[in-house]
Amino acid sequence: MKRVALIIIIMLQALSLGAQKYMTRNGYIGFYSHTALEDIKADNNQVASILDIATGGIVFQVLIKSFHFEKALMEEHFNENYLESEKYPKSTFNGKITNLSEIDFLKNGTYDVTVEGDLTIHGVTNKVSAKGSLDVRSDGINASSRFTLVPEDYKIEIPGIVRNNIARSMEMTVTMKYEPMTVK
Amino acid sequence: MKSMNTFKLKKAHKIALWLVFFLVIGGILAGLYMYNLQDKDLQKVKPDFIMTATELQKAFETDETAAGQKYINKIIEVSGEVESVKEGETQTLVITLKTENSLSAVSCTMQAESVTQEFTAGDQVSLRGQCSGFLMDVLMNNCTVIQETD
Repeated sequence: MKRVALIIIIMLQALSLGAQKYMTRNGYIGFYSHTALEDIKADNNQVASILDIATGGIVFQVLIKSFHFEKALMEEHFNENYLESEKYPKSTFNGKITNLSEIDFLKNGTYDVTVEGDLTIHGVTNKVSAKGSLDVRSDGINASSRFTLVPEDYKIEIPGIVRNNIARSMEMTVTMKYEPMTVK
Repeated sequence: MKSMNTFKLKKAHKIALWLVFFLVIGGILAGLYMYNLQDKDLQKVKPDFIMTATELQKAFETDETAAGQKYINKIIEVSGEVESVKEGETQTLVITLKTENSLSAVSCTMQAESVTQEFTAGDQVSLRGQCSGFLMDVLMNNCTVIQETD
């Protein structure tokens, strides 16, 4: 019910504001950890995100189980032990572009942006800030960003035995290809 | 007499040592095998459910919690019409199947190298994958194309 309500709200707003909202359902978020012992890499190509160019608002929704690891055992440990995805299936980000006035969405080009907001992972919410870039094009808006996250900030417990196999902070890469939201 | 007893003990000892040795080697090999296991090839795995994309999406739309309990982590063979084919990062292909709900679809990711045919919007296809959950669409991973046999 909540989901239907959310979709209806988005629809109504899209109708009233025209092409002010951009969306993707195939956004990419990946993370990478490098240690002398092991490299860990995971990719998620099913990130849902909405960008409102009128307010600068950005919302991300990520399904933890959609992170793909090359090794099945790593994926299992990630879900069952570290992120506890049965309990916390989704991660969300709710924030906005802080330098919205510097972006001209009517003029194609690349713009540096700073995004701030609440990031919730594993049931824990932290205020985060990240730099990225927006590529305004005729067919949509591409966004990319790289930042780091510390697992302990989100109460992700990594047992002592494997602590040295996992980096202190994870390198996150975000790549989104937004398209204008249209009502079909 | 004494010499016979010590000889027996030594032999049992030796057998025990060999047994331990093989168990340890076996354990290490099994561990390495498990560690390097990649996602199962679902071509060879029988699906838990066979349904249309519309049926699956509707289940989540009607009652997300109940549908989650029924379908998450299960192997589902879902059939439907291709809405879009997108290339993700890292050699991943994302095929989206249409449903009766124009706002919500079934999204399936797969390794690009495992897909041998070209898909375009409008094609009918059957995909077998593991259901991971629901955001705006029903999300499925480790999908494989099921060839029609008729």
